[in-house]
Amino acid sequence: MGVRMPDPPDRTRLPIRRAPFRGRVDRTLGGSEPDWAAIAPIRAPDGAPNVLLVLIDDAGFGNPAAFGGPIATPNYTRLAEKGLRYNRFHVTALCSPTRAALLTGRNSHAVGFGSIGEFSNGFPGYTALLPKDCAPLPRILRDNGYSTAAFGKWHLTPDGQQGPAGPLDRWPNGWGFDYFYGFLGGDAGQWDTCLAENQKIIGTPAGFYDKQDPFYFPDAMADKTIEWLHGVRAQDADKPFFVYFSTGCSHAPHHVSQAWADRYRGQFDGGWDRMREQIFARQKQLGVIPPGAELTARDEAIPAWEDLPDRLKAFYARQMEVYAGYSENADYNVGRVIDAIDELGELDNTLIIWIWGDNGASMEGTVTGSFNELTMQNGIPLSDEMQLQLAERYGGIDAWGGQIVAPHYSAAWAWAGNTPFQWGKQVGSHLGGTRNPMVIHWPDRITDKNRLRSQFTHVTDIAPTLLDIAGIPVPTHVDGIKQQPMHGFTFADSFIEADAVERHTQQYFETIGNRAMYKDGWWLAVKTRRIPWVLTPDALAPYRPGVWDPDNDPAELYYLPDDFSQANDVSAEHPEKVNELKNLFWAEAEKYQVLPLLATLGTFFGYSPPMPDVTTVEFRPDVQNVMPGMIPRIYNHSYTISADVVVPPQGVQGVIVAEADHLGGFSLFVDDGRLTHTYSMMGVFIYRHQATQPLPVGEVNVRMQFVADAPKPATGGQVTLFINDTPVGGGRMEHTVPVRFSAYAGMDIGRDNGGVVDLSYDDRKPFAFTGTIKKVVFDIKPHLSTQDERALHEAAQHGHAAHALAG
Amino acid sequence: MVDDETTDVLIGGYLSRDAAHDDFESVRRCGAYLHAATVVSKDLDGRLSVEHSDHMVREGAEGLGAVGFVLGLLVPPLLLATTAVGAATGATTGALLHRVAAHELKERAGATIPIGGAGLIVAYPKSSAAKARPAVKRAVSIAIGEAEGHHLQALKGALADAQHKMAIANA
Repeated sequence: MGVRMPDPPDRTRLPIRRAPFRGRVDRTLGGSEPDWAAIAPIRAPDGAPNVLLVLIDDAGFGNPAAFGGPIATPNYTRLAEKGLRYNRFHVTALCSPTRAALLTGRNSHAVGFGSIGEFSNGFPGYTALLPKDCAPLPRILRDNGYSTAAFGKWHLTPDGQQGPAGPLDRWPNGWGFDYFYGFLGGDAGQWDTCLAENQKIIGTPAGFYDKQDPFYFPDAMADKTIEWLHGVRAQDADKPFFVYFSTGCSHAPHHVSQAWADRYRGQFDGGWDRMREQIFARQKQLGVIPPGAELTARDEAIPAWEDLPDRLKAFYARQMEVYAGYSENADYNVGRVIDAIDELGELDNTLIIWIWGDNGASMEGTVTGSFNELTMQNGIPLSDEMQLQLAERYGGIDAWGGQIVAPHYSAAWAWAGNTPFQWGKQVGSHLGGTRNPMVIHWPDRITDKNRLRSQFTHVTDIAPTLLDIAGIPVPTHVDGIKQQPMHGFTFADSFIEADAVERHTQQYFETIGNRAMYKDGWWLAVKTRRIPWVLTPDALAPYRPGVWDPDNDPAELYYLPDDFSQANDVSAEHPEKVNELKNLFWAEAEKYQVLPLLATLGTFFGYSPPMPDVTTVEFRPDVQNVMPGMIPRIYNHSYTISADVVVPPQGVQGVIVAEADHLGGFSLFVDDGRLTHTYSMMGVFIYRHQATQPLPVGEVNVRMQFVADAPKPATGGQVTLFINDTPVGGGRMEHTVPVRFSAYAGMDIGRDNGGVVDLSYDDRKPFAFTGTIKKVVFDIKPHLSTQDERALHEAAQHGHAAHALAG
Repeated sequence: MVDDETTDVLIGGYLSRDAAHDDFESVRRCGAYLHAATVVSKDLDGRLSVEHSDHMVREGAEGLGAVGFVLGLLVPPLLLATTAVGAATGATTGALLHRVAAHELKERAGATIPIGGAGLIVAYPKSSAAKARPAVKRAVSIAIGEAEGHHLQALKGALADAQHKMAIANA
């Protein structure tokens, strides 16, 4: 409409200041002259493109077909064939750190994300609190005239801040996204996702209850993205958009319909060793790895496929079939978004950056894989036979991927998915955890189609590159706060020139003590001896303060220009280079707040946060979807759950309070007129206690009392049910959940949202209470000894740290 | 087989009914002479089911039901075996006996089988052990008790012995 923008706006200070009023104001309109620029929106620089940034979760270099993998990725491949493949793109080896680096352009420790969002601790590199002097990319783009939106996994909000009391500045809107639809934590069920929209937890959609056409989060993510794009364009035909499309896939739980999984039926019957060889051969054929690259050896922590009992091979193979179907579905839904952009006529001017994996594929399923991803984090040792039987309990191996389980595949499949590299997620010292595929597509600018780029690039480079392309400077001040510089480098010129100069010549890596130093092609790798999925006292003992000397850890050295996969350790031939890079690592670690090393595991060594002092928590009847990290800390303690209810004359049924679901959780409910308590110890042990007499009519107090046997993790104990202080039933619980019921499912008063705790009322879910609930009170009984309390607190923190490792 | 031969009672604990049933079928097909084999399981809704081998009818092995059942997986076996009510000894035969045995077994196992879990009980003469024991392949916990003879009291004694051993193993 011909409105004049302040020209040129100062984009180094955000928010952009408006130009001084250039009209004239008199006492009346007569003689006054408006300045229409005063109401003009901030516009992005001319030529700033739309941006679609796609991040797949927990996937490896060798997963997608576009990089030689066994997973059909037609959309990833079509973009690669019309764009560029980057085969030396690097991430951190853990979820939140990669995301923080991606969205800030800064090293993860430097912005407080040395570990995951749930694990906020007292060292600067591990607070999980984005510093105000590190304004993130979406905020910069938004303030510079972009429409911004994030869909899917977030994982950058501390565990204790995921409720209406916030603070909300570390939620996605606080990072600069105009709109958010997804989940705040590290993972979520794809069938029963407990969703957040903008600044509210909205819970599991009603579509979850539709048996014919159930809700499926990956579909909903694409639907919401397309709807948002249409809304933006309906309002403004020109404003560039920035969409961050961060899939829950392919993080556990591996949820996908059987039809998608069945596309791969039989394809992995040859096992992970053969799959790895096949991937490697295809990678060479495609040219995504150099002709001279070598396939690295299998570590002894990973069993050979041929050594598995034959009767278990079908179980293991199904794990990978489901993972592959789940991943292909993610490709399909990203493809829907791309098609929608194309339909708008804007694909040519949309820069698509699609990163397939944030930390390599995840080995947190342990060697066996698990029917329930949280069994590892709760320290429940289960053999592969036990896992198979638990899978059978919940529908058999064909149900793997369905609503009733929360599966994670074997670490061996993850390792194979990281072909040709060693290791995977959590292992920041090696490429299995730090190198992932990236495809870039931008028809308006990229003419060198279907080509490979091999510049060393890092996740911190994405933000500087996008700003470079959009013509937006890294701000010096935001909200009056002087900003830290970004640590990444633009690689925009590599879009055009195959031989563009490699700017990112030096980079440290560190994840849970596994560390690396890259410089000019040399890579120093220092891995702790701990197997990523093992957190036993024996495994941790060598790393105690005063015992561990990191400089004594074995160091490996690789020269990547000659050794793409890190197959040949040349440390013995180049001791001077080893020392040089060791020293450089320490300097970088100090500079970027990496120290103290192993801060993530500090709680195992006595560095726990202060004990919480809240022991009584009251909930009113309309409280729903309390996130799992924020429920009362009943773990390993004696406790009571008391409720004041009103029972109408016709009787009552329904849930009084329920946390999570049948794979870990508890429910206090009324069925058949009787007070009932069900407790699921991660779906392995399920306890149910029912009152021997019905509830009376009128105002009633009901209570569930758990008296722990001892102050120890996973303690057993005695349950007693009371009606108006009279015991009416109960029984034993031999094992209780020591760490966490669920990664994503919430606690509800008066109903059981999402997946239910007790499957006997599954056909009546959410099984809302038909009487009146006045309030529900949790009372956690501290153990008598302060020492016991301290020990339990530390045990809980250990579990929290274990959860952190599974980010 | 002679009447006073030692009777073994094997109890196996399972996390799924399918696994227990696999072993139940495996034992039945192993070619060994059995006194009885029983699978007891509880589904996710808490409903109990019992599956008997034909041997129970043939051998009058209702005692196996009457002496109760314990699933020992990580859970210390309860005391039902030693406190079991006296079984109806040889009062009935055939289908009626089978039904009575199943009823009593359900009552007792209902309190001890975990939701989603299952157990297998196999009673066999010691001479069958070489075939019967290897046929049980999927149990996540196993204990074997023994007693002289194969009458009801012997079965009860052998089962109590097996439960005791499982309790020790899981302590």
